[in-house]
Amino acid sequence: MSQTTVVTTAPEPKLWAGGRSPYNVSYGKMMTWFFLLSDALTFGAFLIAYGTTRFFSAVWPDANQVFKSFPFMGESNLPLVFVSLMTFILIMSSVTMVLAVHAGHYGDKKNVAKWLLWTIIGGICFLSCQAWEWTHLHGECGGLWGTFTDLSTAHDFKRFFSEKSMDMVNAQPLVAMQSTHNFFNYFFTITGFHGGHVTSGVIFNILILVNTVNGVYERRGHYEMVEKIGLYWHFVDLVWVFVFTCFYLL
Amino acid sequence: MSENIDKATFQHYYEGDQSKLYSGLMQHHTDVTSPESKAQVKRIWNIFWFLLVITVIEVVMGMKFSHLMPRGIANFLFLALTLVKAGYIVKVFMHLGDEFKGFITTVLIPLVLFVWFIIAFLADGHFWLRMNDESPARHNSAVQEVSHESK
Repeated sequence: MSQTTVVTTAPEPKLWAGGRSPYNVSYGKMMTWFFLLSDALTFGAFLIAYGTTRFFSAVWPDANQVFKSFPFMGESNLPLVFVSLMTFILIMSSVTMVLAVHAGHYGDKKNVAKWLLWTIIGGICFLSCQAWEWTHLHGECGGLWGTFTDLSTAHDFKRFFSEKSMDMVNAQPLVAMQSTHNFFNYFFTITGFHGGHVTSGVIFNILILVNTVNGVYERRGHYEMVEKIGLYWHFVDLVWVFVFTCFYLL
Repeated sequence: MSENIDKATFQHYYEGDQSKLYSGLMQHHTDVTSPESKAQVKRIWNIFWFLLVITVIEVVMGMKFSHLMPRGIANFLFLALTLVKAGYIVKVFMHLGDEFKGFITTVLIPLVLFVWFIIAFLADGHFWLRMNDESPARHNSAVQEVSHESK
């Protein structure tokens, strides 16, 4: 930064005194970043709470046992395959979003509309996958939140644990029941909160697609709104990267 | 600074359409078919393939190998790959890498809180587990549990 001060003829004020953007970022874009920062803290708090609960549980359900189903494959044993598909869909929709933003930098209305449409389709596909997974787990658990609260459900929750931890599960069924209960409560809360973000992201994308097609941004002279919604959409993808790691891999 | 700016313009920027202060860093391109534009699109797709490969590595590891290696190493690898993925999404897809250095720092510094946050809370969870395990109450309740089941 000090080099630019040397080059310019008018002396730059040492401290920012208003009247211009200090980082050459507009108010709206900067505040989008700060909103995302606060949202990151919310998601972080959720995931760290999940981690804390997991650390104080002597046994914990095994992701390879819980998430091994795939639509229309019956009782197939395909751990992680379905969630990989969901991850792929979300990364793909992130790419189409960044291509829309790129087209916006060049004022290319037609391509902005095209890539926004693909992003919306990707978002809807992701939400459909999540709806299937929730429905499936609803069937497995006999509910969403607050399941596995008494030991009569033992034959149900035992199949969520790996072979290795079965000794522990049999020795302390109450502990195993409580951790299954916690696992699913966290799972539905966190993926539900993330799914809510995807849903609102799809709605925002539809709104800016309508505005793009109507030429609102063309008249305004720039497509910054696409960039701001793009930031939100990438953030949703970013959160999924962490949710994926915490729930399915670790 | 402000006396150099026409007062009406100033009012207009700050109370009207604030996006007129829109970043000059990325705007003002005109030719979408320029080599510069094509290079950027190519970069975006390269990052996509990179993210996809990392995800495939993670999934294959999770399905086949993570049970064979020590838990700590597997978790370290998963977290490292996750952070690499997150870094590229923020840097390239969210264009944070193209912003001013001061802005990048402003956005990233609050995230340092997570370092304390994660260490403190996981340590607390670990402590509770140990305390529960060593507590006489746990052993009494486990005994009761077993006797309750046998009835």
